[in-house]
Amino acid sequence: MAAVPETGSEEGEAVAGTSGLTVPKKQEHEREREREREQELERERERSRDFLQSLELVKQGAEARVYRGRFLGRAAVIKERFPKRYRHPVLDMRLSRRRTVQEARALMRCRRAGISAPVVFFVDYASNCLYLEDIEESLTVRDYIQSIHITESDPEKLSLLARKMGQVLAQLHDEDVIHGDLTTSNMLLKLPVEQLNLVLIDFGLSFISALPEDKGVDLYVLEKAFLSTHPNTETMYQELLKSYSSESKKSGPVLKKLDERSSVSEILQGLQG
Amino acid sequence: MQLTYQLDLFPECTVTLLLFCDVKNAGELRKKAMEGSINGALINATMVVDPFQLLVAANKAVHLHKLGKMKTRTLCTEIIFNLSPNNSISEALKKFGISDNDTSILIVCVEEGEKRMNPEDLVSQVDGHQVSFDKLPEITDETKLRKTYKLTPREEKIGTLLESIICRMSTKDVL
Repeated sequence: MAAVPETGSEEGEAVAGTSGLTVPKKQEHEREREREREQELERERERSRDFLQSLELVKQGAEARVYRGRFLGRAAVIKERFPKRYRHPVLDMRLSRRRTVQEARALMRCRRAGISAPVVFFVDYASNCLYLEDIEESLTVRDYIQSIHITESDPEKLSLLARKMGQVLAQLHDEDVIHGDLTTSNMLLKLPVEQLNLVLIDFGLSFISALPEDKGVDLYVLEKAFLSTHPNTETMYQELLKSYSSESKKSGPVLKKLDERSSVSEILQGLQG
Repeated sequence: MQLTYQLDLFPECTVTLLLFCDVKNAGELRKKAMEGSINGALINATMVVDPFQLLVAANKAVHLHKLGKMKTRTLCTEIIFNLSPNNSISEALKKFGISDNDTSILIVCVEEGEKRMNPEDLVSQVDGHQVSFDKLPEITDETKLRKTYKLTPREEKIGTLLESIICRMSTKDVL
């Protein structure tokens, strides 16, 4: 409760309280600085919005917008977790921030483990934007599978792909990274596809977990997405699981959980019948 | 010979990079930098693998500077700090800044607005040869880089040295 020493001019008058203390000038300065910070923050957010508007909007989701463009001379993809007006502002900020952080963390963890994922160029915490490497010259696994079905229907190619997918997912889960949204659209194959250079993308729902349950759910989501997008690929998915099982050091409990979940799901489906 | 870039997010900012080798007065330059009489970040060129590395560092520095959230005291030291894979400022300045007997030096200048400094002003202060960035690969010490950034062999299989470095620079505050 010390009195703030007066230096130079008497801006911000000292108001004598009952104990003879001055209204802390420090507090006023701090409030002033806070206001400045807020102004700076708003200015930078506007800057981010202006920049993103000049780029190509690739996807508008409920959670985020994805843009494509050049950043510091490189092809980049920018993921913006924009403010959601229907959320409480403080909660919104915290959620968007947390998800941006989790995504960046998962990407770094993947790369450190030798799992192909986009390079993170820059994280803008003020606007919750993630600046990533644009994986050019690639196609989604989804498009690849569909093209094979249409053109040649070569089971060997799909088998090799399945094995590769199982191996990459095994690596991912052995690092305790849960992708959270495994679909064939979230896996890219760099050209030429024969090299089976698989890159995982969109870690927006990812988190770190060692629990077999979480890994099982990850695979379960993929199974559902797989079979609904690509009809008649049950054998392919089984090969994926086989490969996952042999590549992963921790696959036993995971597959057990997956099995349990499938049985529960089947029972539920049977009940709906 | 120097390289000039504009930051996409900060079009009013121009970044100029200058590379020097056979530098004999690193100690003097370092003192000048600490006094603030050199308006550029002095970087140990052996720790740089590509200009992109410096652009990423400069971009983050300017971003935080505009928000009033830099971790260090000046824009120049912030650029040097951003090159480091960890959050120790003193370690960053030691490893990525210049020491008295360094012979390869890289200078990064960030300028805002119309005023553009004359590169000659800087070049004349360096007792060494300004060289083109084509020479950078000869100067880079990849072994020291791998050690400083703690790069794993698994990581090198999926990307270049530069990519591993950039990733660490950009995500160090969340790891």
